[in-house]
Amino acid sequence: MPRILPQVLRNLLRKPATVKYPQVRVEPPKGYRGRPVVDPERCISCWLCIRTCPARAITISKETKKPSIWLGRCIFCGECAEVCPARAITMTKEFEFTTLR
Amino acid sequence: MTFIVPIGPQHPALKEPAFFRFEVKGEEIADVDIRFGYVHRGIEEALQRRDYKHDVYLIERICGICNVVHTTTYCQAIEQLAGVEPPERAKYIRVIILELERIHSHLLWLGIAAHQIGFNTLFMLAWRDRERVMDLREIISGNRVTSATNTIGGVRRDVKPEHVPTILRGLDELEHSTKYYIDLFNSDRTILARCTNVGILTKDDARKFCAVGPLARASGVDTDIRRDHPYAIYDKLSFNVITEREGDVWAKSMVRLREILEAIHIVRQAVKEMPIGPIRIKVNLEIPRNEAIERTEAPRGELFYYALSNGTDSPERVHVRTPTCANFASIKRMFLGGTVAEIPIVIWSIDPCFACNDRVALVDSHTGKTFNLSLKELRKWRH
Repeated sequence: MPRILPQVLRNLLRKPATVKYPQVRVEPPKGYRGRPVVDPERCISCWLCIRTCPARAITISKETKKPSIWLGRCIFCGECAEVCPARAITMTKEFEFTTLR
Repeated sequence: MTFIVPIGPQHPALKEPAFFRFEVKGEEIADVDIRFGYVHRGIEEALQRRDYKHDVYLIERICGICNVVHTTTYCQAIEQLAGVEPPERAKYIRVIILELERIHSHLLWLGIAAHQIGFNTLFMLAWRDRERVMDLREIISGNRVTSATNTIGGVRRDVKPEHVPTILRGLDELEHSTKYYIDLFNSDRTILARCTNVGILTKDDARKFCAVGPLARASGVDTDIRRDHPYAIYDKLSFNVITEREGDVWAKSMVRLREILEAIHIVRQAVKEMPIGPIRIKVNLEIPRNEAIERTEAPRGELFYYALSNGTDSPERVHVRTPTCANFASIKRMFLGGTVAEIPIVIWSIDPCFACNDRVALVDSHTGKTFNLSLKELRKWRH
């Protein structure tokens, strides 16, 4: 008899180790590095985030002089949120970037 | 009559495609030829064009599975160049994440190894337990895989006191399941039949071909950078260097499984003894001309970095030698005399950063006729 059989039988009666994702959502822990969000009200246009971004994902809008983050290049390291003196950039817990049109 | 069995090189989803050309006499492997370089990304050149701080995030992307050990080695090399010492607490946090990474890497290895010998139940169980480590890493660093925790002069995130009970609880569960896997590897007939006396690397060969990490330790070579050349705070922690004598796939699995237990032991000590203090110091990154080497023990073996600065804020040269590169020299000796059915598990037994043997083409060297075998069919290959 294979040695793993008792474990297999026990797992048969247990509930699954995974969660049924789209129906059941697990909240990411505190401090999760999700989508970075810029608050244009708080931004003081110091542009430190542009210099610190390792992926060069932050660009400046010509009219408003405020930064915007290009998520296609963003590597979610959180350096911009750390360096911002006005705390205008925050890392949210959002991780689902795919959208249905 | 010899057949040529080319394995590889394509599997773009995986990190390191390589090409293996086996010459087989019936079932027996007579010769093997390896080709690399399919995923050359020019990272070393790219490192010279960015500044030191941006390089940390590029270094992190050399290897997804062992990203923390890469950034730790890089940051230690740059700290050595700049002549600064990170704070004590930062070193403890580095060790905690490094060892959690070792646990997750070895469990990942165990899962794929079980899959390679056709033991999918163990594959699922190992990966279920790996999720626990990933959750711990998510709590500490904010992401499951890419930690982005290390920086030059310390770490960016603190391990908060409220996380400690969660970490310890997770480690207890992991210890329990790892002991079960060790028991399984000692007694299960399928595992013993597929792993013992397969892909043997003797102690002399391991020395001769400069094997590193678990591969060398499974052949009885007592080497571990954490003990021989301590970095971070490994000199203050007590742990054993695991060695086995046999040198076959079973010994390599056993070394890795027992290393998980050692890693759990190290994390427990580090969490308990962690001093209170700053986690990061400011470093002036306009480093005058200087050079440094740094060695660390990655989950796969010795990782080596060389860095050269030139007075500006970007490095003149950074050279990386990964453990897989060092281990490939000994792979030929492990294959010779083996059978075709052993190929997947022996390739995987050195824990290479790839799993590219998805497609096998058998070429009759006399007629030049090629026919393809999928990895699934290769796994079912029997004598």
